[in-house]
Amino acid sequence: MAQLLSSIACNLDADILSASLPLLEEERVEAIEWSFDTLFNFNEIPPWFLDLLTAYSNEKRLIGHGVFFSLFSGRWSSDQNEWLKHLKQSCADFQFDHITEHFGFMTGKDFHSGAPLNIPYSATTLNIGRDRLKRIYEACRCPVGLENLAFSYSLDEVKRHGEFLDRLMETVNGFIILDLHNLYCQIHNFSISFDEIISLYPLDKVREIHISGGSWEDSTTDTGRKIRRDTHDDATPDEVFQLLEKTIDKCPNLKYVVLEQLGAGLKTEESRNHFYDDFLKMEKIVQWKNKTRFLHSINSFLPSSILLNEDIIEDDTLYEQQLQLSAILETSHSYEEAIHLLHRSSLANSVWNIEKWKPYMIETAMKIAQKWKK
Amino acid sequence: MKLPKTLLAAIVIGIAVQATTSCSKDKDVPDPKKKEVKKGGAGSYPDSCPACGMG
Repeated sequence: MAQLLSSIACNLDADILSASLPLLEEERVEAIEWSFDTLFNFNEIPPWFLDLLTAYSNEKRLIGHGVFFSLFSGRWSSDQNEWLKHLKQSCADFQFDHITEHFGFMTGKDFHSGAPLNIPYSATTLNIGRDRLKRIYEACRCPVGLENLAFSYSLDEVKRHGEFLDRLMETVNGFIILDLHNLYCQIHNFSISFDEIISLYPLDKVREIHISGGSWEDSTTDTGRKIRRDTHDDATPDEVFQLLEKTIDKCPNLKYVVLEQLGAGLKTEESRNHFYDDFLKMEKIVQWKNKTRFLHSINSFLPSSILLNEDIIEDDTLYEQQLQLSAILETSHSYEEAIHLLHRSSLANSVWNIEKWKPYMIETAMKIAQKWKK
Repeated sequence: MKLPKTLLAAIVIGIAVQATTSCSKDKDVPDPKKKEVKKGGAGSYPDSCPACGMG
């Protein structure tokens, strides 16, 4: 088992950096995770931020976390090509210990527009995902991972997510980020126990764990039901720390434990103090686990070889369905309107299984899509 | 991990300058050629990350 590193998600953001500064000064931050594609189109990054990245890069304690690649888009876009070029350049500038992305496809017609949502777990999406992961590996030449999704439309999807991730990552001997707040969302939103859901994930493939906070939202389609959302704008709940304590021992290849919070949730002195306290709680758990973990050789998460087809795998049917779904979620004024349009769309009676989607999660998907629509 | 004091001091100054933004979509980012942007600082989110804050 690897020595665990207490880490933070750190980007070029005054509020995140202000909250992180005391931890950096006290030499507590053992690694940082940088979302390298969030400064897309920036001509100049301040030299001091580059120096911060370089300091961690030199110690092989810098990890990259992509946001905007849209792994499962049915059609390949020029923006994805640019994203890979940017990744390649970033990997020339810094030595990342690994690169990760998010699961799902981005709603919205344009790159950088919309929010990532789930996909059907089919042979088509599996092949597209594997193709994209190979391309990411070709660009970065270091271990590649994907984060589990917070959002699902149905319990069936929740139960199949881990296995699909497992099959997906085989192609690059990749790993997964197990976001425990995402798991917490699933546990609450689908009334599934921790023991059941955790048993459905390939825990030997977990190299990184995320913890963060979120928020509650009332459902209008299911009165009295509260939906847990992964908004990353609040302190980490005690329940997530309890999940961390329970999960670490189950993950023999775990290396990074990362505290994530958005700058928008770190604007007050009180919220920054909470962030500091959350880090200390996480650090205490990590240090205690490090004392009891047995060190032995671990999975490198590097592929032995990669056979990359020159032809990019695409699927027009999937792409059209993604466009239809995005449009319905982004423009519907009510759940009733959305469900009416969904049943008239090509997603009906298809691998999407919209007939099994929970009304309160369709409502949540509408809120997410409309929140991020540009 | 220990960081050089000069780097920590530079981060403090960078935070204070408050200029650029992070985790933004291209349309959210102020065009540095069109607007006066103080170089060398770190601003706040005009919007949050969709992937980070998606749920």
